[in-house]
Amino acid sequence: MARKKISEYRAKQILTKALELPYEGVCVDADHLLQHESIDSNKLYVVKVDEGVKKRMKQGLVLLKQTAKEIPQAIVSLQQKGYTHFIIEQFIPHEKTEEKYLSLSLTREGIVVLYSDKGGIDVEEKQETIKKIVISNDKEKSRSDLSSIAWFRDDKRKEIAAKLIEIFNKYHFTLLEINPLVITKDSIYFLDIAAEVDNAAEFFVDAAWKDEDYRESDRRTKTEEEEAIEKLSQKSQASFKLEVLNADGSVFMLLSGGGASIVLADEVYNVGHGKELANYGEYSGNPNAEEVYLYTKNLISLLLKSKAQKKVLIIAGGVANFTDVRLTFAGIIKALDAEKDALRDQNIKVFVRRGGPHQKEGLANMQNFLQKEALLGNVSGPEMPLQEIVTLALKTI
Amino acid sequence: MIDIERLREKEARVITIGSYPAIIQSILDFDYLAKKAQPSVIAIIATGRNNERYFFGKKEILIPVYATTGAIPTKKKEQCTFFLNLSSGRRVLHSTQDLLDTFPNIAGGVIFAEGVPETHALTLYNKAVKNKQFIVGPSSIGLLIPGCLKLGAIGGVDMPQLTDAKLFSSGSVAVLSASGGMTNEIITTVVQLGKRVSFALSFGGERYPVTTPKDAFLAAENDPQTEAIVYFGELGGTDEHAIAALLCEKKITKKVICYIAGAIAEMFETPPQFGHAKALAATQEETAAGKRKVLQAAGADVASSYTEFIDLITALPNASEELENVADVAHGLRERQKSLISTSISGDKDGQPHLLNEDLLTFTNNNSFATVVASLFLGKKVKSKELELFVDFVLRLLVDHGPYVSGAMNTIITARAGRDLVSSLSAGLLTIGPRFGGAINQAAENWLRGVADTKSPGAFVEEFASKRKYISGIGHKKYRVDLPDPRVVEIKKFAEKLSVKKYTTFALGVEKITAAKKGNLILNVDGAIAAVLLDILSEKEKIDEQELQRLTEIEFFNAFFVLSRSVGFISHFLDQKRLDEGLFRLPDHLVTQADFDEE
Repeated sequence: MARKKISEYRAKQILTKALELPYEGVCVDADHLLQHESIDSNKLYVVKVDEGVKKRMKQGLVLLKQTAKEIPQAIVSLQQKGYTHFIIEQFIPHEKTEEKYLSLSLTREGIVVLYSDKGGIDVEEKQETIKKIVISNDKEKSRSDLSSIAWFRDDKRKEIAAKLIEIFNKYHFTLLEINPLVITKDSIYFLDIAAEVDNAAEFFVDAAWKDEDYRESDRRTKTEEEEAIEKLSQKSQASFKLEVLNADGSVFMLLSGGGASIVLADEVYNVGHGKELANYGEYSGNPNAEEVYLYTKNLISLLLKSKAQKKVLIIAGGVANFTDVRLTFAGIIKALDAEKDALRDQNIKVFVRRGGPHQKEGLANMQNFLQKEALLGNVSGPEMPLQEIVTLALKTI
Repeated sequence: MIDIERLREKEARVITIGSYPAIIQSILDFDYLAKKAQPSVIAIIATGRNNERYFFGKKEILIPVYATTGAIPTKKKEQCTFFLNLSSGRRVLHSTQDLLDTFPNIAGGVIFAEGVPETHALTLYNKAVKNKQFIVGPSSIGLLIPGCLKLGAIGGVDMPQLTDAKLFSSGSVAVLSASGGMTNEIITTVVQLGKRVSFALSFGGERYPVTTPKDAFLAAENDPQTEAIVYFGELGGTDEHAIAALLCEKKITKKVICYIAGAIAEMFETPPQFGHAKALAATQEETAAGKRKVLQAAGADVASSYTEFIDLITALPNASEELENVADVAHGLRERQKSLISTSISGDKDGQPHLLNEDLLTFTNNNSFATVVASLFLGKKVKSKELELFVDFVLRLLVDHGPYVSGAMNTIITARAGRDLVSSLSAGLLTIGPRFGGAINQAAENWLRGVADTKSPGAFVEEFASKRKYISGIGHKKYRVDLPDPRVVEIKKFAEKLSVKKYTTFALGVEKITAAKKGNLILNVDGAIAAVLLDILSEKEKIDEQELQRLTEIEFFNAFFVLSRSVGFISHFLDQKRLDEGLFRLPDHLVTQADFDEE
């Protein structure tokens, strides 16, 4: 659970719908192919990458004033840069001076509103023009708070800002950056939007946004193993994470616990083997044996695929509060057992350090299995300091 | 803000929202090993059964389960001092607010769930600040004060974990972390290195912990038993900058040892999203290195590696006093087994039969039959003379109502078929139900609901009328408003001596309306017994509304009829045997062939 960027297309749909404004943007990706009937051959368009990328204009990921005929070629040119999600909107002619900057972000103190009269792509270089106010969580107070920025003293603008704050709260946005924002006599244009939502609140937004709207800034294609773990995590009460850092790395880690997993990954880096670290990941929240089996199976699949000469598997975690070591280890052993021959062929040793409920039985089972299958590096309980298992394991590569 | 020293003195009475048996059991084990006289968890809000079984030591106990906060007796609400919210992330806001709004003496609690929306956490933060209550979490493994309080899974859920971590005598090292796993890891390390924990708190890895790391540090600073703070932090967020500011301002003067994880992130242009929601550095100051630097500059002992972190903890002074060993006690608990049945009314003690914790003979010698009956039915000793006298009267009153009624008929027919006493009695008892003899309980439900909903008797009657339903407790075949049932007159006399008698008043209010519509719609014996019994239980036995509700759910009010009328059925059996009546068969003329009109 964390903050997630959502597509500009979805953010604009939510905003325009709530403000009762028309929106004619078109989303183009693998699931939504370009529909020529929605493009007017007499108008000019903007074609943009819609993947939560920062500084698109400067990176050439926004193509302005495209005619209907030019759009397919524009998309192809962006696809060649490795992008897959696009948004097509009508080009809105306007003066540079009309460009405003408005950003809302959630903090503990309330919603931080940033505003600048001089919006546009280079707003960051005009820090001194940015005004800041914090809208307290108290709904009554929030309207009056706005008045401290002169620009909002205009009734219409104040109304828009108040409405945006309402939408921001209602749909659990954590960031809403509109730049440029153009307000003319007749309408409001959100030319570019960057939006982030709190994905823990998906249940409460009535499908206004959902997981298919998430846009990762990391565009690296995921391995099938990572995708399998993402699905596993979505379906489980417990939590699973797996990210490949170096597919041909030599140090593979099967870790438990959000905090301990960073300590252990840190240790690999601290002793100078960071580049060889193949993955980061962790499971926590007392998963059942079957889930841990699936998690381990995917990790072993990555481990066996790695082209590194020497490889090692570290299974480690802190002293768990309520994750059952015996049960989770049963899942790990089952997965190791299924690939024991391949692991032995590649001369991979397994290093284990763990504590928690039923640690005695869990560690003993692990020790027996690894010994029997000639995979044993080391098996230790809490008597061994957490990071030491990494030092031991790294000695073998 | 948490005042640890005050919490040490407070007697812990915990209500859990949701049930997580392993965690609840671990709290009870902690209580037992800490030599508390009573378990700290006193109620569970969950769906399902009325009770959950747990061990307190070797003994099994029942913890009451309530579906809603509304179903919890007021007295119990007042007793609760802490809460532990084990419900899912999406339910946290609503359930916590509901609890804080309806429980008057809650000092604070822990929220266990991950995935609580940020704005929900912030709403709870504002509420906690306003009410001066503490909330640890969301996504917190809990708060632990050795020997005093275990609020959550913190410290482990397995008995050997609790004893290994020496959580029963207080030390001087406060362990603080967002990470639940690392909190426990560090507790283990601290203890293995010969120190003891003063308290441990995991504020949770979500973006907006209600108890902030800053609050937790101040709690440690203000705690007289804490001498050093061991902190485990991660990249992401700016909490450490707030902590550094406290150090610079000398608001934290105690020794601070810390490790900030996340150096690995510096290897990547786009670092992975680590395990905790917050663990992502957006700016330089949010990186592990940035945090280390600022803490170091502020005077904290910042470890550059985990090995150094352990070295820094090792250098803390060792716990001096010889601590008692609870491992033996814990070992004795390993063999405990769940019992097959549980009971709260009777059993052997030291080989002697006991009723309600009193020796059987003492109990029977000192109490009338009515007291024995009412006490066992209630599951606790009757306190008032009023209840004793009323039950005595009711038991006598309901004994028999002639051979005409269903139950007596069945008993007689069975006896005449040559069956034995128990078969004939059972045949009679099996007729007791919604139409015969089972109306006292339904009537009690009616009066309870009527009073609880604070409806007028008129509105109450209207509700039944609109659904075309009978009101249990109202109506008689023979007696009318101008020909009152003499038994009801007698029953009502018992209410006269009561002061409030809200149930009887309500029942009479209903009768006034129904009898005006139709003369025989009067308060009947069932309705009158139910009303008077409710009033006596409420006024004289001090049983609150929720508990009365539970009594109706378990058919308590029907029990008096079943017991009393059994005497009647047995009498009819004996009577038939004495008279030596032959097999019963209905003469043909008493049976009508019913023709259904097919059209």
